[in-house]
Amino acid sequence: MNLDWSVVWQNSGALAQGVLITILLTFCTMLIAIPGGIVLALMRLSSSRILSGISACFVEFFRNVPIILLIYWTFYVLPVFTDISFSPFGTGLLALALNVSAYNSETFRAGINSIRRGQTEAALALGMSHMEAMLKIILPQAARRVLPVLASTWISLFKDTSLVSVIAVGDLAHNALEIRAQSFRVLEILTAMAVIYWVLGYPQAKLVDRIYKKWGVKE
Amino acid sequence: MSTVAAQIQNRKNADQTPVVEYRSIRKQYGEFVAIGSVTARVNKGEVVCLIGPSGSGKSTLLRTTNALEQIQGGELLFDGKPLPASKAGIRQVRQRMGMVFQNFELFPHKTVLENITVGPRTVLKVSEQEARKRAVALLDKVGLADKADKYPANLSGGQQQRVAIARALAMEPEVMLFDEPTSALDPETIGEVLNVMKRLAEEGMTMIVVTHEMTFARRVADWVVVFDRGNIVEQGPAAQIFDNPQAERTRDFLSHLGWDG
Repeated sequence: MNLDWSVVWQNSGALAQGVLITILLTFCTMLIAIPGGIVLALMRLSSSRILSGISACFVEFFRNVPIILLIYWTFYVLPVFTDISFSPFGTGLLALALNVSAYNSETFRAGINSIRRGQTEAALALGMSHMEAMLKIILPQAARRVLPVLASTWISLFKDTSLVSVIAVGDLAHNALEIRAQSFRVLEILTAMAVIYWVLGYPQAKLVDRIYKKWGVKE
Repeated sequence: MSTVAAQIQNRKNADQTPVVEYRSIRKQYGEFVAIGSVTARVNKGEVVCLIGPSGSGKSTLLRTTNALEQIQGGELLFDGKPLPASKAGIRQVRQRMGMVFQNFELFPHKTVLENITVGPRTVLKVSEQEARKRAVALLDKVGLADKADKYPANLSGGQQQRVAIARALAMEPEVMLFDEPTSALDPETIGEVLNVMKRLAEEGMTMIVVTHEMTFARRVADWVVVFDRGNIVEQGPAAQIFDNPQAERTRDFLSHLGWDG
């Protein structure tokens, strides 16, 4: 077999730019999806049936639609119906944020439910409102408890951003696949792509493990 | 004159307005009657102990006092007024009552000091500096001044419960509710918690205490209420309940606990 790795170095600029977009997309998605997930979880757990129902519908819809379909739909269908159109990056960001918010909502909901009832009662007994008890006492504990789950969501998201390559967002996957198409160096480029994703993803996973060890709540 | 009326006549502070008054309180969970009909009062400066077998409704009654449980019948008066119906009204009442739980329920993500300051800071909008000052004084009072920056997980059960008492006192409550405060403790740390409670009683704090510590009830309580199956079988001064119980059920209960005076 005749391997020519020089194609990787020759295109290192495009690959680096792709990496940058991939990281930026992951970061921005989580920046929306963490508050989004918290808001959805609080709505779901609220005593208002309307809020709870809206949140349940949102979550069940976006959790059960394939992300790639969501990306296509936001890109092709949304502008037709609403006259709203985003740049490819904005479209990818929106689709991913909707999906990950739905997942995060379930994560936070499980975390909040895992904090025992007595904690809420202790906060209420001090005279706090339900909202104060939630924000000051329950949510901070729940967030620490679900940190490992959020971390694996983060890692999944980091890789799932590659799906936005289908609408020509210049992320790592898109740029790499372009180079592959032009150079016909399939094996080299796909291998390089795998290595780059792994090298970037693994330290993130390790970092989160360490954060959890440091900040996890001990009882 | 009925026995109850006679008992109440020779009661400490009997002339005062009761701080808490339970009038024919009823509490059900579905079909299950947790409290049948309970009438009792707690006067200012009194220590009232609620005793009785597990599941007899004493903890439930305590929890109705600050509306952690809703009552289905009767009337609950705090400071002469019925418990308000509004959420804001309930919060106001809770600010004036301190509560100590069986499982401490300290906030594990906050330091000891933060556990004590979070109530006054959040609810009473006390300044950070003022809240800290008060917390340090309270920690000193419960003998844990050196633990301010520790997390609850690093304290023993007895220490955690003393912090929980300090946390409740930080709100400067008019009455303290204790829900089996020593039941989750190792025997060797029970004493330190009871001592703190005893000192509090000596300072004149009004206290309602659900407990299985009969020695504590005998020594510290002004008034003891004996529960069985959701109803009061007997109530009276500690001396009467422990030395000369009137009800058969009280005698049974005390003898089961090995109480021999």
